[in-house]
Amino acid sequence: MLEIKDLHASVGGRKVLDGINLSVPAGEVHAIMGPNGSGKSTLSYVLAGRPGYEVTGGSVQFRGVDLLALAPEERAQAGVFLGFQYPVEIPGVNNVYLLKAALNAARKHRGLPEVDAFEFLQLVRAKMKLMQMDEAFLSRGVNEGFSGGEKKRNEILQMLVLEPALALLDETDSGLDIDALKVVANGVNTLRAPDRSIVLVTHYQRLLDHIRPDRVHVLARGRILRSGGPELALELEARGYDWLLAEAAA
Amino acid sequence: MSTNAAPALPSTRDENWRYAPLRGIERLQWTPPDALTAEAIESARAVLGDLAPATGTRWTFIDGHFAAALSNGPAPQIGTRAGTGAGTDAAADASDSGADLAFARLNRRHAGAPVTLHIPADTTLDLEVACVALSVGHPAFVIEVGRGAKLQLVERHLGAANALSNLGLQLRLAPGARVEHSRLLQPAAGARHFETLQLRLDAGAELHLVQLTTGGAATRSTALVELAGADATLRWHAAMLGAGQQAHDAYVRVTHDAPGARTEQAYRGIAADRSRLAFNGHMRVTSRARGANSDQTLRSLLAGPAAEANARPQLEIDTDDVRASHGATVGKLDADMLFYLLSRGIAPDAAESLLKWAFVSDVLAKLPDAALRARFEAAIAPLLPGAEAARSLA
Repeated sequence: MLEIKDLHASVGGRKVLDGINLSVPAGEVHAIMGPNGSGKSTLSYVLAGRPGYEVTGGSVQFRGVDLLALAPEERAQAGVFLGFQYPVEIPGVNNVYLLKAALNAARKHRGLPEVDAFEFLQLVRAKMKLMQMDEAFLSRGVNEGFSGGEKKRNEILQMLVLEPALALLDETDSGLDIDALKVVANGVNTLRAPDRSIVLVTHYQRLLDHIRPDRVHVLARGRILRSGGPELALELEARGYDWLLAEAAA
Repeated sequence: MSTNAAPALPSTRDENWRYAPLRGIERLQWTPPDALTAEAIESARAVLGDLAPATGTRWTFIDGHFAAALSNGPAPQIGTRAGTGAGTDAAADASDSGADLAFARLNRRHAGAPVTLHIPADTTLDLEVACVALSVGHPAFVIEVGRGAKLQLVERHLGAANALSNLGLQLRLAPGARVEHSRLLQPAAGARHFETLQLRLDAGAELHLVQLTTGGAATRSTALVELAGADATLRWHAAMLGAGQQAHDAYVRVTHDAPGARTEQAYRGIAADRSRLAFNGHMRVTSRARGANSDQTLRSLLAGPAAEANARPQLEIDTDDVRASHGATVGKLDADMLFYLLSRGIAPDAAESLLKWAFVSDVLAKLPDAALRARFEAAIAPLLPGAEAARSLA
């Protein structure tokens, strides 16, 4: 699904990613953990194509296509979804419009006709129920006046409607209370499928109590320092990151 | 000076006219056609397109002449200015704001007798006025809304390419009158539209005005509002969209001259391509206006590398007992919002249109009903490609 080879990137002239190698096969959930400032969010933004994040070396293949050659909207249409750490508020653009426009953009890419208005509403209502969101959210501006937790639920709602092939969730768990965390985790789990991959960027083990990853990677100083199974997350929870950084420096 | 001499036109050296699109106006031919021809009626019919079914009275004017064939409901009265009580011409002309009334004088010189409309106390009228400019027109209206009466007034200004129009509108609200005034200024390519609005609100009257300006070559809107009675309330929401080399300029002076007078003013301007937009919101609060309240937010969006946008709040306050807030910003499309939309698969031009749409939507949201909103949105849809679907869902 996703093959990252020796990826280097800078932001504002500062080197942030320093040779990332990562392979995420279809059907797997991978967690990327690491201390603050390690490059986790940068990796997400680079994959989504955010302007200002300059790739200085390496390659990224997504389903055999050179992802870095695509414009941000083409990556989304091709099935890459970024769940933002800090979803932006867009007053005046309502949620339901964004959902419909995004879904139709993806359908067009696949050669499908625009979604039927009735079916669309049925679909959205079902997903909102799963995310325990009030339908009143639909007619509000995108994330406008939403609490931190509501914004994160809204990101997952969009993901559930769009059904991307690759979901990159950037600290989707931050700012959530334990009930909201369960709802969000449940939403993510319903999306697990053999033809889909999910990359969770997180600081904490607690999300992984609810979404069991196939692989865990530690990203620090712009590189993957270690990879392992779910037990690696537990070890990090118990021991922190310092021992890994020390080992890497040695 | 002979009374027949052409009124002096303002220049950009005059206060309040600094950004006005006045270049070449001295060479313009201001004399309107004497009468309406059958050919003009057919041209106007084409300009108006499919007329929405009128729920109330609809009047169409072509170059200032009433066109009965394109109207329905009772015909307007063509009156005289004397005795209407709405005009404050002499006093205003004599004041130092003479330049602000230059186009009003030009209108009076050419318009002949204005349309006069009196809405009796405690009655309701739903009126739509379409002014079609084909060559040169000076539509003129004097409207009095009686005590406790309600008026829903929709005004559209449109026309043929390269036409010239100069509107004069006087509107007086008696105590407790309430007016929903929706204005669409949409001159055709190359056309110019000038206008002078003189509005006066008596005690407890309320005027909600929404104005959308788009198209044409140039527009200048001058509005002089007197909040003359206690607790008179004005809500003024204006949006301007400039494209190509268009120039749109508005000057709105609101004089709070009685206790408890209130104004809420919002302006949103989007300057694309090489267009130039200017909005000057001038708030005056006299010593008589104790407890007055004025709230202004003026925002401009620069959406073209050679576009210009000016938004100027101007406060002139002669009493201590007042609440006045104002803010003016000029900015560009928000890069974070844009990336968010792209990351959801929306194409860049559609994403930009959507954000522009959102930018003016809080003005359009003030229109009194959804049907009217759809019509106003249709006027700007061609400027915002890719955002059409947002309309039906708004």
